[in-house]
Amino acid sequence: MANMMMSSYKAIITSSSSTIPPSPRFKLSLPQIPFPKLSLPKSLKSHNPLSLPSNLKSISVILASSLVIAPPSLAEEIEKASLFDFNLTLPIMMAEFLFLMFALDKLYYSPLGKFMDERDSSIKEKLNSVKDTSSEVKQLEDQAAAIMKAARAEISAALNKMKKETQLEVEQKIGEGRKKVEAELQEALASLEKQKEETIKSLDSQIAALSDDIVKKVLPVSN
Amino acid sequence: MNVLSCSINTLKGLYDISGVEVGQHFYWQIGSFQVHGQVLITSWVVIAILLGSATIAVRNPQTIPTVGQNFFEYVLEFIRDVSKTQIGEEYGPWVPFIGTMFLFIFVSNWSGALLPWKIIQLPHGELAAPTNDINTTVALALLTSVAYFYAGLTKKGLGYFGKYIQPTPILLPINILEDFTKPLSLSFRLFGNILADELVVVVLVSLVPLVVPIPVMLLGLFTSGIQALIFATLAAAYIGESMEGHH
Repeated sequence: MANMMMSSYKAIITSSSSTIPPSPRFKLSLPQIPFPKLSLPKSLKSHNPLSLPSNLKSISVILASSLVIAPPSLAEEIEKASLFDFNLTLPIMMAEFLFLMFALDKLYYSPLGKFMDERDSSIKEKLNSVKDTSSEVKQLEDQAAAIMKAARAEISAALNKMKKETQLEVEQKIGEGRKKVEAELQEALASLEKQKEETIKSLDSQIAALSDDIVKKVLPVSN
Repeated sequence: MNVLSCSINTLKGLYDISGVEVGQHFYWQIGSFQVHGQVLITSWVVIAILLGSATIAVRNPQTIPTVGQNFFEYVLEFIRDVSKTQIGEEYGPWVPFIGTMFLFIFVSNWSGALLPWKIIQLPHGELAAPTNDINTTVALALLTSVAYFYAGLTKKGLGYFGKYIQPTPILLPINILEDFTKPLSLSFRLFGNILADELVVVVLVSLVPLVVPIPVMLLGLFTSGIQALIFATLAAAYIGESMEGHH
């Protein structure tokens, strides 16, 4: 800051506070202090009555003295004139900003924002649809269970039916067999009866002969 | 003394790069008007950086974003977040304004700190961050003023001016004064911070050219980012303030 003040003060002395902007009115050249002859601008150097000594100590002395002497109002004025220098740059910067705003809106904010919103909504949609499928899965599971139940009922019904049918068939067959057996039995019995009668008949005829024989054998004496 | 001058001579190159010229401008004559050429040049570079990177990154958006696209999406989300918190639900149309405010100031500030402008020699003045110039910051602040007036007037019509006598007509002068202090504080805060930051770095570099200025440079980067955020947030806050209903 001290250097700034000093150099500005010097600038006042040397260039007699010229109001032409392009002329170097105010310059902070801190790094060039050790070798002012190398880097000081020509206009300053040529007109500079207080040519800077290369000794740092004397610089600091001058610096301090100039700080004391420097009228702060003047230094301020110079600073203001160069730092707060409003001109056509201001409206040009405004125009540049507006241009940048519209260009970035066309290139960046609108397309990318739209793209991001669309992606968000599509992701949300997909998420929602996934949630829906969970209920769908449940429904399908229920359906499957119902189908299984129906199938089981059907199968058991078919099983029962088949059981009954086979039982009937079996019973029928048993009945048939029984009838057959009975018929055979009857037949056999009938044939047996017949045989019995036949044998009885034959026996009857034989009985007469036999009894004659027996009588003959038993009663020989009487003869 | 001899040793000192020797060591200084070896570092002369660094000194030359680090020299700063405050209040010196590279004037261009346009008609009868003068403009600060160095500000325009750097602002063009900043605009080119912004438009170029945005074009490259957003040219072909992917559902699963690439690295560049991811970064730009993050930036856009950040801008939207800032606008939404300050303006409210109707933030949509203001995203370009707030976003450009933030990005332009941020890239400008960081360009001043990161880009080696000093390599390019100008006849007068030197290249630095565009926000280093009061014209830029005042331009941005005035645009903010215009923006919040526009926001209030389109939202509420002439009823917008009713806010000047809210909550009591006694506050009318203060409310009017606010319209002047807002752009003033916006522009001077940004200008002062950036200029001071560059000056501090330059002075430190001139005193101790190695290592020591690095923390200050990092602090400068941090400050630059914060200043951009503050400017954008305040602009959004002013817009939101003029749009919100006063009950």
